[in-house]
Amino acid sequence: MSRGSSISPSKPDRDLVWLICVLLGISGLNAQTNIVLTAPRQVSLSPNFSTQQLSVSWLGGAATTFDLIILRTEFNETVFYETVSATVNRVSGQHQWTWTSKEPLECTSLSVKICSRDGQTTSEWSETQILQGYDLPSKRDFQMYPQDRVVPVGANTTFCCIVEEGKTLKRISYGSTEMVVKNLSRRSYAVTAVNQGPSRPSGANVICQLTEINKIIGAVVFVGYPPLPTDFVCQTHDLQTSVCQWNKGRDTRMYGRRQTRYYVNGRNCTPPQRCSLPEWYGNWTLVAVNPVGQYSLTDSAELSHRVCPVAPVKLNRVVHAWNATVFWEWTSVNYSSLALVCQVELTSQGYKTKRVFSGSGLQSVVLLDLQPNENYSVQVRCGSQKNFWKWGNWSEVLPFTTKTYVPDAPDVWMWMNRDNTGLVVWKRPTPQQSHGQITGFEVTLWNAEENLQRTQSLSPDDYSLPVNLTQMASFSNDNEVIATVITQNVEGSSQPASVPLRLIDMDPPVFSRTAFTDSGFPLTWQQNASTTCSYLIEWLDASCRHDCQVEWIRVNAGSTNVSIETDTFQPGVRYNFSLYSCPSSSPLLIQRWQGYLQELVPSSSVRLSVSQQGSDAVLTWEEIPLADRRGFLLGYNVYISHGSELLPLAKLSDHGTRKYIVKDLDVGSYKFTVKAYTSAGEDTGTTVSIMMEPGSELILSILVSLGIVTLLLSIVSFICCKKRKWVKRAFYPDIPEPKLPGDWSRTRGPLDVKPSPHSMVHIVEKSEQDSFKDALVVIPEEEEDDEGQGIGDEPVDTDEPQSLRYYNQMVDERPIRPRFPDSSVSSASSMDSASTDVTYTGIQTSCSSLVFQQDPQSASEGHQPDADHSVSCGSGGGGYRPQMHPIALSDNIGLASPEPLLEPQAVSSGGYKPQNSWHIDSPTEEERNGLAPSLGSPVSVASTQFLLLDEEDHSEEKQQPPSSAATWLSNLLSSSKP
Amino acid sequence: MAEREEQPLTASDSTPAPGPSRTGRAVALARLLHHECTDLLRLYKEKETFLSDHTPDGGRIITLSSEAEEPSAEEQVQLLHSALRQCLGLLHCVILKEEEEWGELEGDYETMRKTVRGRLEHLLYSTRDLVGTEDVALEVTPDHRCNQEVDGAGGAFGLKMWTYRVLLELIHWANHADKALHVLHLAREGTEEI
Repeated sequence: MSRGSSISPSKPDRDLVWLICVLLGISGLNAQTNIVLTAPRQVSLSPNFSTQQLSVSWLGGAATTFDLIILRTEFNETVFYETVSATVNRVSGQHQWTWTSKEPLECTSLSVKICSRDGQTTSEWSETQILQGYDLPSKRDFQMYPQDRVVPVGANTTFCCIVEEGKTLKRISYGSTEMVVKNLSRRSYAVTAVNQGPSRPSGANVICQLTEINKIIGAVVFVGYPPLPTDFVCQTHDLQTSVCQWNKGRDTRMYGRRQTRYYVNGRNCTPPQRCSLPEWYGNWTLVAVNPVGQYSLTDSAELSHRVCPVAPVKLNRVVHAWNATVFWEWTSVNYSSLALVCQVELTSQGYKTKRVFSGSGLQSVVLLDLQPNENYSVQVRCGSQKNFWKWGNWSEVLPFTTKTYVPDAPDVWMWMNRDNTGLVVWKRPTPQQSHGQITGFEVTLWNAEENLQRTQSLSPDDYSLPVNLTQMASFSNDNEVIATVITQNVEGSSQPASVPLRLIDMDPPVFSRTAFTDSGFPLTWQQNASTTCSYLIEWLDASCRHDCQVEWIRVNAGSTNVSIETDTFQPGVRYNFSLYSCPSSSPLLIQRWQGYLQELVPSSSVRLSVSQQGSDAVLTWEEIPLADRRGFLLGYNVYISHGSELLPLAKLSDHGTRKYIVKDLDVGSYKFTVKAYTSAGEDTGTTVSIMMEPGSELILSILVSLGIVTLLLSIVSFICCKKRKWVKRAFYPDIPEPKLPGDWSRTRGPLDVKPSPHSMVHIVEKSEQDSFKDALVVIPEEEEDDEGQGIGDEPVDTDEPQSLRYYNQMVDERPIRPRFPDSSVSSASSMDSASTDVTYTGIQTSCSSLVFQQDPQSASEGHQPDADHSVSCGSGGGGYRPQMHPIALSDNIGLASPEPLLEPQAVSSGGYKPQNSWHIDSPTEEERNGLAPSLGSPVSVASTQFLLLDEEDHSEEKQQPPSSAATWLSNLLSSSKP
Repeated sequence: MAEREEQPLTASDSTPAPGPSRTGRAVALARLLHHECTDLLRLYKEKETFLSDHTPDGGRIITLSSEAEEPSAEEQVQLLHSALRQCLGLLHCVILKEEEEWGELEGDYETMRKTVRGRLEHLLYSTRDLVGTEDVALEVTPDHRCNQEVDGAGGAFGLKMWTYRVLLELIHWANHADKALHVLHLAREGTEEI
């Protein structure tokens, strides 16, 4: 140490510093060794089971930090081990620290130990303190914790189930969810529900179930939200106290004993959302509290700005016909000087109107412009006129009925028929017009010119009166009748309403069309500058013709348009609208319209018929009745049926069309359908069918021609028969007895065949032509001789033996002059003939090729026309021509030879013509004796029968001239005149 | 047999009313109550599903003891009346506690709960009229005080379990009422026909 003092004087400061450091080091070392860390003492545990908090307190000496360890006693598992800074109670010197357990403190026993810490130095551990859980053997019950816990939405909660001794846990479920179980001790099991959602009013169930049947224990947890009220406001009703209101806000899911409680300025407000306070505070605070939280709202205001008057009470009224006074009382005397504005709501006929009145301490109002005999109800509410805050509550409803009054004049119009009858009609008075119960109507018909008046009283249910103007004796167009209608009720009679009854003779204006729109039927017209009257528009069903129930509206003067819409318009009904000017004084029809609310397809179809016209089918139909049209007809569609389909044939856009011809149809059956259409479409249509037949028109024309020919021939024949003598005289005059000197043995004269008394004419093959037997006329000689007893008009048809004069054919080519100059070749050579029997085995009805061949050579020989045309079947000379009665033409003949009138030569050449075969068919004795050759025909050598033309037969008798049939007929007619 | 001899003294027999007899109407009422109690339990189980498979133990809440070894039909109905009064008391208590715990709700369960209460009161009046005498005055007021502890650990879960037991009790006694009143009906009317 001395050496230290021998330090050189140059190092004195360095040594001093070194010395000080050593000393400080030594002193510090000594100080550390003086602090002794003691183990905490008097450790105590204070559990709060509801909050799951464990408060630990101890006496810990001078240490300020402590190590604290918490173990689950049974499993010696560390739950908590941290160094904490505990607060120190300056009075008692105790340290205290609070731990919050995740699990309920009841679940299992916890052991707590503490040691003091000073830096890295710690004291000994304190004695272990145990918080006994409920899973002690002494508590054998089946338990679950926590019970009735209330947590906010989203929280995590751990539940533990302490099973009975010796029992086995089966499961723990939260609601319907089975949870993951953790052992806390031998008997205690824990589950944790995380992020819990809001629960229902009776909470969420956590159920612990043992393997043993029917052993369950559980707990209920309520999960909800903190309160969140809104719109907190305070006001005054009586100008003294304050009433505060608010909205609850969201549903907190807290019910029953956990529901939210409210406090305003510290006062518990039992009725939720409304709280009355005894005075006007000016500032208010609302606190809403429930188990999971609380919320506060404030409000502040002056009283005069928050006046909300109470509802008026004891409403009463004084009622008149056109007005009423309503008065009421206030429950607060403070309102007497308060400037109030009041709203009166008047309800009538379901309509509400509001009227506003104001005044200081307002307690009555007068309601004007009411309707007589009308039911009203009224209610009143008021507000502060100055610094208006809000309307107070409505008063009770006060109903009242205004008094009755004389009715208004009725709205009168008329409907006139074409026969001077009609209706006086008036509208049913509305309650606003009747002003009371209607007792009746009085209608007066008044002829001003004649001063005639008729009055009729009607019941309240009558709204029209039939009138017959013809019964007004002096009525004429110049003297109009005025109908006046008066409405009566208990208060009296209305002013009269008049309408002139006068037919409008002028042609009504044509109808214009109007289309219905959303606002009704739009009608527009030109304003007549000279007219200052109002207008009236009437409408009715267009199909109505007599005593029509018209409807009408009146339009102010100067108007030029109106839209008509009522609930009575029906779709498919045509309405006529008529515009009248000056309807009350001198109605003048100005304009007319027609329209449909909605056009429909016609309800009925046309009446359709069909006929055949040659190869065409003619469809004709009738008009659809107006009421069935249900729209403006646009035309017709014509279809033809093809199987089950309808094929369109034509679209007739002219609705006036009533006919359609389907041309060039083949023979067969056809079906045609005609459908009328409107803008809404076409109707169901009418179908007709027709069977097209062949040539019907040809048959018809032939029949007509035959009829005409028959008629003409009948007329000619009739005339010829009537004038037979004349005909005979004109064409077949009696032939004088020839006187033949000399030898005439070579002359082959006419052979007079004298029929035997029993000779018969037999006609075979054509029995149906019995009438033709008249063509063979057996002329008795005596008749020929006696013109006065001629055969006359009647045909000769007798079985008596007749003398048949037969003029043999002149086959001798020598000119026999003596036969001339008589015009008749046959008569020139006629001779008495012997009687004979003639049997006809056949009659040929046509010999056109032979009979009608005219010999042109003989025609050019210069013979007289009569002689030329008397020949037949190619014979240029004359021959025998039996006089024949006219016969009817057969159809066959008519069809085959329609030309007889056009070829008179042919006609004239017809007649009875014996053929060369006659001798074969009639092998009489005379024939065999040499007479037979004289009977042969020089021309028709091939014929074996007589040829007898029907039409020619009877025309032969006519001895037509050669020129033409017309000439012959003309001559005949002219000469037949007596 | 003594009971049978007393039958003519009853008002129902002396002045038979048209249609079902009073005992018949009481039987029908009991059957309707039983049906409604069953419905009430079904609705409750729909709310508290954990009860669906659970049968509580602990026996009857309401027990009756008769002095007579073989009580007559009237005596049985008198005992039944007493049990029904306790049932009504329990139901009143359930309603009170549930409304206090969960609030006043208006679901199907709450509606049926109210219906059962009314029907039970009606049946009590019926049984009183059937077997009440001057000597035996029967009350119809609820015989239960709600300050009694509910089952188990108490709390909301305990209330649910207790409610469950009460509803089962109601079913039991409604069924018992059906049988007891039917016995009385047979004894008085002599016919099975209601």
